[in-house]
Amino acid sequence: MRLWRRIWPSSLLGQVLLAVALALLAAQAISAALLYRAAEERREQHFVGSLAVQLVAAANGRTEEFRRRPGDARELGPRRMRVERAPAPPMGPADRAEPGLAATLAAVLVEEGLATGAQVRVVSRAALRDPRILQRLASGHPIGRGFALTDTRVLLASVPQADGWWLTARVLSPQHERAALRGLVVQTAVLFGVLLLAVWLILRRITRPLAALTGRLEDFARTQNADRQLVPQGPGDVRRLIVAHNAMEARIAAMLDEKDVMLGAIGHDLKTPLAALRVRIESVEDESERARMAAGIEDIVRTLDDILSLARVGRASEPPERTELSALAAGVVEEFEDMGEPATLAEGPRVVAPVHVTWAKRALRNLVSNAVRYGGAAEVEVLREADPDGDWAVLRVSDNGPGIPENRLAAMTEPFVRGEASRNRGTGGAGLGLTLARAIAEAHGGRLVLVNRAEGGLMAELRLPL
Amino acid sequence: MTDPAPVSLLLVDDEATLREPLAAYLARQGFVVREAASAAAARSALAEGVPDLVLLDVMMPGEDGLSLCRHLVEAKAIPTILLTAKGEPTDRIVGLEIGADDYVVKPFEPRELVARIRSVLRRAQRPAAPPEDDALYEFEGWRLDPLKRRLSNAEGATVPISTAEFRLLVAFLDRPRQVIDRDRLLDLVQGREAHLFDRAVDNQVSRLRRKIEADNRNPHFIQTVRGGGYRFAADVGRIAQ
Repeated sequence: MRLWRRIWPSSLLGQVLLAVALALLAAQAISAALLYRAAEERREQHFVGSLAVQLVAAANGRTEEFRRRPGDARELGPRRMRVERAPAPPMGPADRAEPGLAATLAAVLVEEGLATGAQVRVVSRAALRDPRILQRLASGHPIGRGFALTDTRVLLASVPQADGWWLTARVLSPQHERAALRGLVVQTAVLFGVLLLAVWLILRRITRPLAALTGRLEDFARTQNADRQLVPQGPGDVRRLIVAHNAMEARIAAMLDEKDVMLGAIGHDLKTPLAALRVRIESVEDESERARMAAGIEDIVRTLDDILSLARVGRASEPPERTELSALAAGVVEEFEDMGEPATLAEGPRVVAPVHVTWAKRALRNLVSNAVRYGGAAEVEVLREADPDGDWAVLRVSDNGPGIPENRLAAMTEPFVRGEASRNRGTGGAGLGLTLARAIAEAHGGRLVLVNRAEGGLMAELRLPL
Repeated sequence: MTDPAPVSLLLVDDEATLREPLAAYLARQGFVVREAASAAAARSALAEGVPDLVLLDVMMPGEDGLSLCRHLVEAKAIPTILLTAKGEPTDRIVGLEIGADDYVVKPFEPRELVARIRSVLRRAQRPAAPPEDDALYEFEGWRLDPLKRRLSNAEGATVPISTAEFRLLVAFLDRPRQVIDRDRLLDLVQGREAHLFDRAVDNQVSRLRRKIEADNRNPHFIQTVRGGGYRFAADVGRIAQ
């Protein structure tokens, strides 16, 4: 099965070519077999006819022949190969019996009244091992025309006569079945070549634009950039597919652009009045009142940022850059250290992965912030792990808090879901932190994994492909 | 700040809801503030008198802030701080690339804005400040792009560093193989974001080491000099961009 999978090509071009080749091979084999059988039958009929004529003629014209050539008692028949008359059939164990021919010949001879069924014997041997032929050659008589004797067999048919002597007729059987076979093989090969070439040319016309389209789709999925669209080419169906794809691509890109413009506008239109508000509260006399107002504004701004970021993840304008993740994690941990929060970075290997630095930092920051807020302290590790899906750079944040009930783990990465519904916004945030972390991980082709640790506490992992 | 003459500012923003209270706030902080609601208005205000510093909104109808900023920096050499609602790093780079001195994202803490204004002015007044050189620093395969503040290691992978670490590293890279004592180092790295630097220099150095050294306990690049300070122990080259 595995071997089959390795041989069976995965591409359209390969599969169709292989299917056509196999079908062609089967059809050619069947027709070759039929042709070969027909030719064999014809040959057999020819041999049987020839042998029967010789034997019948010899049996009927025996006396006349004797009379004409009294000196040669054993030579009978007018043909080029004389029928041999001998007390026993001149056949040995080295000869190959031809029972099929014998049966056919017997039927003919029985009809002529020359033999009774089972007595007819037919064998074949190499022409150059037949004493009669060698004798003829030695006496300078030609044997047939155009026979290469080395490649020729001779068929011998013996039938007993009333006096117990045996009449034996010979017919040369050139191996021209081999030549016919060769012709068939050559014909098949030529047909094969021509047909496969034609199919390959046609298929390439189809599959090349398909391959280009596939590449383009992958590209678009990654960049969402509708520039440099494909030029429709190939057969009509494929052309229409490409045209339809281009239209869809343009629409998606336009929608995404619209979304960006809209988000930019929302961001701008909300942030400017917020900035104004933030300036105005500086004139509030009461220090604690002013601090509360400032915190409120900061909260709105953070939520706004999260929402805008969530909508923008995956629309990065620049490709990811290979980044040293330990340094990135250290930077994030230090931000928390600066605020006096209990976050630490464990010693680990230096891991380099292609990431969008701002996004990756943000995702990690959200995880650390959750760990500090709900788990009391955050321990950050940077690791490299391999699993069947590939190699991963892992940013792991562990805490010693209560963890999350198993049945709520999956829901935690949904937007606006918070671990504890009872908590107010003062500590809970908008509930976008994990959603954003997950979206960022997925935008990198990775995953966010949340697991309750056996020893207590939650372990959150950003797994990013290396 | 104990400047005898009050500092004059030009605040350019099309949003009156922000411009007016901000102007009032800055006036309370002792600045002389003029307002302009558009780039065109700002140009005519500049014709009347040159301020010490311009606060400039990036997103404005008509001529935008970046274009005006280019004019201010190139033609007038006036210190400029950009105000913007966007916070993407690329925007920051564009702003700094065309020569703005700093960049503040709305909504900002008014006190932080004041701190940045003072910091930019302090730098503008310091005659010793060399023009910003955008040639890449290169040491043992590592590269630091001073404009993009991008550090990459010998394998070409980006090593994210903070602003403070960037300044510290530049201070070292400008003086390779020299002993720099802590006070001098603090002096060198005090820039527009001086408030980031109230921690001990040692702490910053150890953080920078965490990012660039293969082994923190046995540092290769930034070595501690007993009783003196630190020394950057590698040759540094510059590569023009």
